Amino acid sequence: MAAKAPYPQFWRTVGMRPARRRPGVVADVDWPPGERPLRLVVVGKGGAGKSVIAGTMARLLARRGRRVLALDTDTMPGLAVSHGISAPATPPLVHAVDKADKGCWRLKRGVGPVRAVQRFSTVAPDGVRVLEVGDHPAIDAKSVTPSVQAFYQVIHGLPEARALQSWTMIGDHPAGPRQTVHDWAPYADTLLIVVEPTWKSALTARRLVEVARQREATMIVVANKVRAASDVDSLQQMVGETVAATVPADEAVAACDRLGTALIDHSPESPAVRAIDDLVEGLVRGTLAGVRTR
Amino acid sequence: MKIAVAGKGGSGKTTVSGTVARELARAGHSVLALDADTNPMLGISLGIGPEETYRMLAVRQGNDAMPEHEHTVEGMIDAFGTDAPDGVRLVIALREAHVDPG
Repeated sequence: MAAKAPYPQFWRTVGMRPARRRPGVVADVDWPPGERPLRLVVVGKGGAGKSVIAGTMARLLARRGRRVLALDTDTMPGLAVSHGISAPATPPLVHAVDKADKGCWRLKRGVGPVRAVQRFSTVAPDGVRVLEVGDHPAIDAKSVTPSVQAFYQVIHGLPEARALQSWTMIGDHPAGPRQTVHDWAPYADTLLIVVEPTWKSALTARRLVEVARQREATMIVVANKVRAASDVDSLQQMVGETVAATVPADEAVAACDRLGTALIDHSPESPAVRAIDDLVEGLVRGTLAGVRTR
Repeated sequence: MKIAVAGKGGSGKTTVSGTVARELARAGHSVLALDADTNPMLGISLGIGPEETYRMLAVRQGNDAMPEHEHTVEGMIDAFGTDAPDGVRLVIALREAHVDPG
């Protein structure tokens, strides 16, 4: 996805410059069949199941031998739970930045994307590395801004980080299209749009389809919480795009949400995990039907 | 009275807001429903239907040759609003112009 300013004063407002766009390092390599690292971001409406799908995919890919970097861009905790991190701590990304002028924060000298991943990511089960933007602290605590700005600068360095070129990257965006519009996944060439069979979710997906078109990103619409084949048909009508993968409605997901555990640890043999594994298989093999490549 | 509804994604903010707005209107109150979500879906829960909800979103994005700014509150309610059942007036209050996540 190209870094382009969503509005004229964008880069000045955020106090940063757009990442230089040389040909991506992933694209530079002739990967053997089935070994090309995936670069995804999971998007959709609140409650559609983004974190559960992103977290489970990351764990499954790691079990297949991939080196996986999961990027949690949500300031509300969620993805860490889906990865199986028991006590998600606010990561010390705040230590990665110095105060620059005009209220902006810059990465410290010597801290690039690779070092940031080494130092500031959390190791989840199966060896998944999770880099978190940081949680919104309680009202009386310090601002999350330095951590957010550090995170933004790190992710913009990821596309060109040669030491990470063979890594699979999976991002999880907060609800709605806002972050996706504002280039919070510069490492991703594919938008995984998660949608459940409701109009609210479908209209959000429709907006995200527009974003994917503008970004010239590959898009994959994933229908979640599906109870009948008719759900998929009506979702395709509502969204106006082909559904490439379906995940069934599964009581195990609700159960692990209540417990605050990762789905893959709680119910590894559940229908939802099996469906997500099928999705992973299709992505790795490049055999998923209904993928819109731009 | 002025009520704000907050919570995690998918927990039911919009459904609660829409239903409370309709019930208050039925009880005789004049109700202004403000959708301050950057992904505004309150129209669905108020009962204006998906296509009108999607059209309202386009209006607020300035895609439909609508004014970018209105200088008075009345003007905003007029330009960026629509009538929902039971006399509730729905106004889309935000557009995407901030870069913070969340």
